[in-house]
Amino acid sequence: MRSLSILMDVEAGVIEALKNVSRRPIQPVPAQDLIADLGFDSLQVLELVADLEDRFDITIPVTATPAIRTVAEVIAAVSALVEARAGA
Amino acid sequence: MLTLRTLPQALRDAAGRGHGCLFIGAASPGQHADVHRTYADLHAAALGISGALRHMGLRRGDVVALALDDAEAFLTVLYGASMAGVLPASLHPPGATRDLESYCGLTAGVLTASGARALVTSGRVVERFDHARHACPKLDSVISYDELANRPASPGPPAAGAEEDGPALDDLAFVQFTSGATSEPKGVALTHRNLCENINAINGPHGLATTDADSAVSWLPLHHDMGLVGMALGPLYAARPAVFLPTHTFVRRPAEWLRAISRHGATVSFAPNFAYDLCVRRIRESDLEGVDLSSWRVAGCGAEPIHAPTLSAFADRFRGVGFRDTSFLPGYGLAEHVVAATFAPRGRPLRTDGALVSCGAPLPGHRLRIADEEGADLPEREVGEIRLSGPSVMKGYFERGAVACPRPDDGWLRTGDLGYLADGELYVCGRVKDLIIANGRKIYPQDLEWGVDELSGIRRGRTVAFGTADANGRDRLVMIVEPTGTVEAEQLAAGVRRRVADLYGLFVDDVVVAPGGTVGRTSSGKVQRALTRARYERGEIG
Repeated sequence: MRSLSILMDVEAGVIEALKNVSRRPIQPVPAQDLIADLGFDSLQVLELVADLEDRFDITIPVTATPAIRTVAEVIAAVSALVEARAGA
Repeated sequence: MLTLRTLPQALRDAAGRGHGCLFIGAASPGQHADVHRTYADLHAAALGISGALRHMGLRRGDVVALALDDAEAFLTVLYGASMAGVLPASLHPPGATRDLESYCGLTAGVLTASGARALVTSGRVVERFDHARHACPKLDSVISYDELANRPASPGPPAAGAEEDGPALDDLAFVQFTSGATSEPKGVALTHRNLCENINAINGPHGLATTDADSAVSWLPLHHDMGLVGMALGPLYAARPAVFLPTHTFVRRPAEWLRAISRHGATVSFAPNFAYDLCVRRIRESDLEGVDLSSWRVAGCGAEPIHAPTLSAFADRFRGVGFRDTSFLPGYGLAEHVVAATFAPRGRPLRTDGALVSCGAPLPGHRLRIADEEGADLPEREVGEIRLSGPSVMKGYFERGAVACPRPDDGWLRTGDLGYLADGELYVCGRVKDLIIANGRKIYPQDLEWGVDELSGIRRGRTVAFGTADANGRDRLVMIVEPTGTVEAEQLAAGVRRRVADLYGLFVDDVVVAPGGTVGRTSSGKVQRALTRARYERGEIG
């Protein structure tokens, strides 16, 4: 069963991670594209992945990163991994 | 005096000497086991690939394109093709590209330019390549590395015979398609003589002075000259051990690079400036537990402008775990010159001039001069174009299956980079050509312009892209577009950013939607990039 509180924590954590990795002042919203809207470069996308892995104690497969383009997709990917870990 | 050898000869020699390569986390998908392959293992595997390529009908002089991220696969195919007398051409691999369709489209253009008969790539590209195939009529097969490695070898001559058919010193060794814009692809064609002359100079007393105590660690991509020649072929020709980490492992967790150096007691590792910066910014104290960098005697730095404060910050940060300032070995080079052209003297503290770092003097047997716009020599301390001559200058640019633009008759390679000499040492300070450098990656403005040309609402052929240095010496990416209709400027700018992000994974710092006529064209129909950039920098546009 989906726990709403887990998902809210994930969203807040992802936004914190985005702000942490970005070198510009940003206010991320779900529809934004990491590169085109938030100004991330390809290194920062991977930097974000490392931050999220540490923050949520998850492993994001390398093959999953190309599919992650928007803030919403980051939240969805992390939520799935956090839930899978909680369910395991 | 070191002898000159072809790539297959160097592999066979190394195969008899025991060492090999460790590929970290490079096993089949899902697994992350480390794989050790001796040079004898790699030689045997390459022999298999050589037979399989012949079995596919590839003959001496045919071109096989490689678009592979995996280091073991890349090297095995490179060596195997070379043993079969087939010319390997390396292409930008798919990596973590966001848009595989676009990747296939861009790759099709490069494949056509290479005249390749076969493409060896990853399984996910093979699956998606069908729609792009019609664009490459010469291409007979698109095959994954796994499939190629499991193919039967040609029944014909025995293994030893296959090797005798191998290339001669003046045959092409490989073509690197990293040097032209994807929209106008040009491959750098190097002979076995070019390759070996440069590697001998690198391993020699005025370069790394490689000995039997050396070993290398690298995360650099192999489609890049510093990754392939510097960190894979350099150790191979010296029969020394090399450890390869996937590039994404370093980018995600830079500490893994330093941990690998420490764990394997590596003595040699090269990286561009940005990597040293990334380590300073990203590595935490807790990542360094048990790390000892005292074995690292050559910390090479090249491939992009070297920023003195970056290297000083790195030395300060990691001195506590055994890093020595005197390990830095700044150098200058480019793919058109195999990889290296100059090195600073080993074991000397960085020599700087403001934020610039001395890249040292040319390698023995190689020459360097600074030329003005008419090509005349400039005296010391005057900035001009860096020109190189000697045995490492490429055979020429490769287009459509042949060397199309041979090197100039006077033998001097025009690098397009700006620099000056002081006390005989080179300081690199900019570029004549329009390249944009982002994190060690060279971006051709033509690619960006071409990438957005088809967006609706944008006037075709009137887009200009360029880099302009910010206060920290980093390139800011600027694009100027002209609208054709009534689409809001903000919406056009967002469309441009998204397209460039999808195609190249880059953020455009400034998109200027300028009135029609802003972007001028030359009499030959090309956009006036330098002029537009100068006007932007003077504040006349935007």
